[in-house]
Amino acid sequence: MDSDIETRIVLIAPSSDLTPDQIARFVQNMGFQVTVKETCYGVVLEGPRENVRHTMRELRKLDPYRIYSKVRAFPAGDIRRCRAHHGSRPGFAQLEKEWKDLSLVEIGLICAERGERPPEPKRRERMPVNDLKKLIEEVEP
Amino acid sequence: MIKIAQLSCGTEYSGVQPEIENAAETVGAKMVYPDVNMESIDKAVKEFGFNPNSAQLKLMIARAVELAENNYDADAIFIATCFRCAEAALVRTELRKYVQQHTRLPVVTYSFTERTKAAQLLTRMEALVTIVERKELLARERQVGLTAGLDSGSSTTKAVIMRDNVIIGKYWLPTTDVFSSAETALTKALEEAGVKQEQLEALGTTGYGRFTLGKKFQAKLVQEELTVNSKGAVWLADRQKGEATIIDIGGMDNKAITVRDGIPDNFTMGGICAGASGRFLELTAKRLKVEITELGELADRGNPGKVKMNSYCSIFGIQDLVTSLAAGNTLEDVASAACHSVAEQIYEQQLQEIEVRQPIIQVGGTSLISGLVTAMEHTLGQRPIVPKDSQYIGAVGAALLSSGLLG
Amino acid sequence: MKIFIMPPNSLILFDLVERFGHEPLSLMGELRERVTSNEIEAPPLNVSSDDVKLGLKYAGIEVPSGIRGRLAVYGPLIDQAEAAIFMEDAPYSFGCVGCQRTNELAKLLIRKRRVPVLSLDYPENEDQAKDMVFKIKEFLEGLR
Repeated sequence: MDSDIETRIVLIAPSSDLTPDQIARFVQNMGFQVTVKETCYGVVLEGPRENVRHTMRELRKLDPYRIYSKVRAFPAGDIRRCRAHHGSRPGFAQLEKEWKDLSLVEIGLICAERGERPPEPKRRERMPVNDLKKLIEEVEP
Repeated sequence: MIKIAQLSCGTEYSGVQPEIENAAETVGAKMVYPDVNMESIDKAVKEFGFNPNSAQLKLMIARAVELAENNYDADAIFIATCFRCAEAALVRTELRKYVQQHTRLPVVTYSFTERTKAAQLLTRMEALVTIVERKELLARERQVGLTAGLDSGSSTTKAVIMRDNVIIGKYWLPTTDVFSSAETALTKALEEAGVKQEQLEALGTTGYGRFTLGKKFQAKLVQEELTVNSKGAVWLADRQKGEATIIDIGGMDNKAITVRDGIPDNFTMGGICAGASGRFLELTAKRLKVEITELGELADRGNPGKVKMNSYCSIFGIQDLVTSLAAGNTLEDVASAACHSVAEQIYEQQLQEIEVRQPIIQVGGTSLISGLVTAMEHTLGQRPIVPKDSQYIGAVGAALLSSGLLG
Repeated sequence: MKIFIMPPNSLILFDLVERFGHEPLSLMGELRERVTSNEIEAPPLNVSSDDVKLGLKYAGIEVPSGIRGRLAVYGPLIDQAEAAIFMEDAPYSFGCVGCQRTNELAKLLIRKRRVPVLSLDYPENEDQAKDMVFKIKEFLEGLR
């Protein structure tokens, strides 16, 4: 395969109203040499690298914080990674998890675009041993 | 097409995935991966009760749970992880126990390196397919008619003639040329039986040379030694019903097989080195200047505790042996230590990969070395059953099973 | 700049690095050449036993083959990295990044190259997500 051909996975965040079908039609209407294939969570784009990247830039404009993408190693429809052939590919569960969390990334992006500095989030911390000791003494004096 | 579910980590990055698939394809099977989604992975890891750090191992667990819960249709299970990975070894062993507890699918485990080739996997895959495809044939308990079995092993070739469930002729000799060794063994066995080759109604072949001999002798049955030897072992030991563990320490590799009603449901084949094989005992006998047939009795008179010998490598093992002799140890003690070294390695390498079930039947040519059986007894805490004619398991199994193909 | 991401197949990190104007060094990109090569020696990923030997550059022979094979694939990405972002507790990383031992070693190899590294926790709620995106943006902008 031509090394200038790029395959890209495009995911639509769960909070978006866009459908894979709408994205596919949008790409087709752009008239670039980019093939588009609908998937459960978005589409797969394939074509000359620059065309794919241009398409991607245009696609993002549809819903800037809710359309995400990464390149894909295997060409679209490659039987080596076809779910029907062997079962789901190893990365499927990860993609599924990341897709679910895109709504969180969306919130993060909106915040960042506003130029806000978010407060340091609270993370679970271990209780200092002295506090624990006090607690035990309160319960079991 | 037989579907073998693959539960593995590292195969695609060790260059062995194509070898696995080639081996499966050669025996008419296909590797498949049970489908799982993210939620099922979390749930499966919880249910299984071991939470590995590596995500691919979590995926293995989830795939096993899919099989256990009957959500995915497969005929057999192949569990494989990288050799020397501790985390994966734990998961591999525990998963094997889990799927055996929850399914009736035959299972084989394997730990691979980048050097693993399809040929090494072939016998294992073939056995999985045989267990699935020939279940009815493997359930056969009686030999009928007049049939012969040929077992072409790496060290010895064995032939057996059976008539109406009785052995009427048998012969063995060291394997030189596969074909001429088999021809001699068969001729001698036929002589003892007092029948002519043309009278045979069927012939079965097994062992390393099975394909070559199968063609030459127009065999009705050409089958790998795991299923054939199991059948021969339970027939000879008269343990056709229920569970058993078969230990077959061969010239080149060792087999540990668990059976249910004579049909294997889990097996391992080793090993990485000849230090745990019959070949090592041959070398020992040669170095001690005794016949291999005398080694067992010599070992029985020795005290293994007096000599330190436990090498994974036959060369280092012989070095240990030479050093022990030079230190003034007796031939008996050294012979005994050699037998114990082999037994311990069978225990460490093979028996950890299967669930040892009672009774334990020890077979193959090495089971005639009484010192080795004693060493197995010391290692396992009980003496294995060694049936009469235990070196003929493969030939008996082939004669018995080939009679099942008579029209 | 070329940014190594961990997990190297992460959609979220790939997208954010690209969005903020840098080049993500991804596993998918690295595998692309292998799987579309005219000579497929070892399907599906075309990582052959010879590649596993190349992995010796990163880890010794006593290390399991799967680790060396994985490093043969993404070791070259580590070598090219001009900066890196690690998602320390990414909930799932399968396939090439399915081996935690390899991932830990990869992070060490990056740190030994003394390139700027941003280490993050995987977000579990909105506040953490805001923090993550902010830090990535700040880190990447600071690299210019």
